Amino acid sequence: MNKNNSAEKIVRQSKSNRFVHWVSAISIIMLIITGLGQLPLYGRYLLWQPFGTNWLTSYEMTLWVHYIFASILIFIIIYHAFFHVIRKEYAIIPKKGDMKASLILMKAMILKKQEPPSEKYLPEQRLAYLLFAVAILLLIGTGIVKVYQNLMGVNISNTMMVIVTMGHNIGTVLIIFAFIGHMAAFLFKENRNMLPGMFTGKVDKSYVKHRHSLWYRDLQTKEKGKANKL
Amino acid sequence: MDRRSFIKRASAATAAAAVMTTKQKWVSATGVEDSKQIGSIIDLTKCDGCELEDTPLCVTACKTKNADRFPQPEKPIKDYWPQKHHEDWSGEQDQTGRLTPYNWTFVDKVEVEHNGVTKKVSVPRRCMHCDDATCQKLCPFGVIHKSEHGAVTIDEDFCMGGAKCRSACPWDIPQRQAGVGIYMNLMPDLAGGGVMFKCDMCVDLLEKGQKPACETSCPKDAITFGPLNQIKQEASTRAEEIGGYVYGDDENGGTHTLYVSDVPFEIIDEAIAKDKQANNDQRPGRPHMKPDVENLLDTAHGFTLAMMIAPVAGAAAAGITAYKTLKGEKEEESSNE
Repeated sequence: MNKNNSAEKIVRQSKSNRFVHWVSAISIIMLIITGLGQLPLYGRYLLWQPFGTNWLTSYEMTLWVHYIFASILIFIIIYHAFFHVIRKEYAIIPKKGDMKASLILMKAMILKKQEPPSEKYLPEQRLAYLLFAVAILLLIGTGIVKVYQNLMGVNISNTMMVIVTMGHNIGTVLIIFAFIGHMAAFLFKENRNMLPGMFTGKVDKSYVKHRHSLWYRDLQTKEKGKANKL
Repeated sequence: MDRRSFIKRASAATAAAAVMTTKQKWVSATGVEDSKQIGSIIDLTKCDGCELEDTPLCVTACKTKNADRFPQPEKPIKDYWPQKHHEDWSGEQDQTGRLTPYNWTFVDKVEVEHNGVTKKVSVPRRCMHCDDATCQKLCPFGVIHKSEHGAVTIDEDFCMGGAKCRSACPWDIPQRQAGVGIYMNLMPDLAGGGVMFKCDMCVDLLEKGQKPACETSCPKDAITFGPLNQIKQEASTRAEEIGGYVYGDDENGGTHTLYVSDVPFEIIDEAIAKDKQANNDQRPGRPHMKPDVENLLDTAHGFTLAMMIAPVAGAAAAGITAYKTLKGEKEEESSNE
């Protein structure tokens, strides 16, 4: 049951989800930092080197750290996909009409009007998930080919080299945009109510009732079903 | 090997490979197409640096052949913002004493002492055309290519001039010219640094079955190109004959350029370093000759293994966790009943 004893809070994110979220977040941030290090960025644009960041100017160091966090990201993405497929949980998968619904909801937030009722995830959250998924899959796919071609004795064709390199670069731009968009979502006060969900797992019941009324209704239905069984 | 047999063998190898591979393979281990690979021997016991010439003939031949590809920068050249410098060799186009964007090979002349004898050694230097070229594999835009003969070439039209290839190269071979290249059409004030230039093994000549300019211009037959396997064997045999040494067979994981010398390369390297120090020469373009240079990608295997294990571990962890949580939920439901 997704409800805690106090009745004032509702469990929104399980331990598993929070684990996936934070491990992905740390991996992606480190991959962006070390990936940008693989472009000749830090040597040129950092006029002074912040303490402890000298390693960022070493292509060798940033490459190995990139490999380590890429392994962690692959682990957590596979874990995430398998876990939810096994449990048949697809609430975050985008639905038909999400684009339009997302625009309506954004408009309501900006104009401070009544928002349409939402499920566990807002339509823009489902779309953001899709953007992250596309970027991550593109990065992992092209990254695997890049790691393979970096093995000693392996050479891929020049055409494939350009495709995977540019694909990886495009994926990097996409994920940076996705990350910025994710952070920008919290510029809206309404969205900040979801923040505790990724730290403690719980959010205010009043918030859920008000904004995620379709999800709340589902929770109530499940609650009643259980009560009837007793 | 003479010119005729070189062309014959290279053509036969190309034809055989063409028959065997009806379409281009997108991936191949370097060993797969060994028959097409071309390497070179630079015999330091033969090279005298063209002591009677103002400029070694291989250098002159290289400059003449590639003159129309030399950069013509737009002036004034801007600094690499926010840095207060840029790399401009356009005022030194006649420089032949080091590698520059206008000079893709040079002969380093040093004096060494070996077995109690002092002698001059002339070392023609240029790109080694590595088997696992770190410059090519790590180029952030994928614009460094390998030809079917194993020549490592930079696509000058799309190079952004970040100079990562120079940093990744153990010998700092590619040299940068600012004020030219694709970055000038993008955001020249903010990003990009020019174009990187280096020896391309005269890949256009190789494709025609001809020999590179440095070999055909050498009056001492000190430079010889040929099928890589044969070149390796010849270098080894020659080193044995003179009781000498080979450089480039193991360095950076193996290269397509094999130096043969009767003086140990440690001594040559020391002499180069000393000469640079004596002349306070800190500019790029005069490479070292340290033996046993490691390929920075060679230490990746442990990390690669972790990457191979990661998906399996992720799937296993998901299976166990999902099973446990589903079981826990079922038990909770049945206890409620």
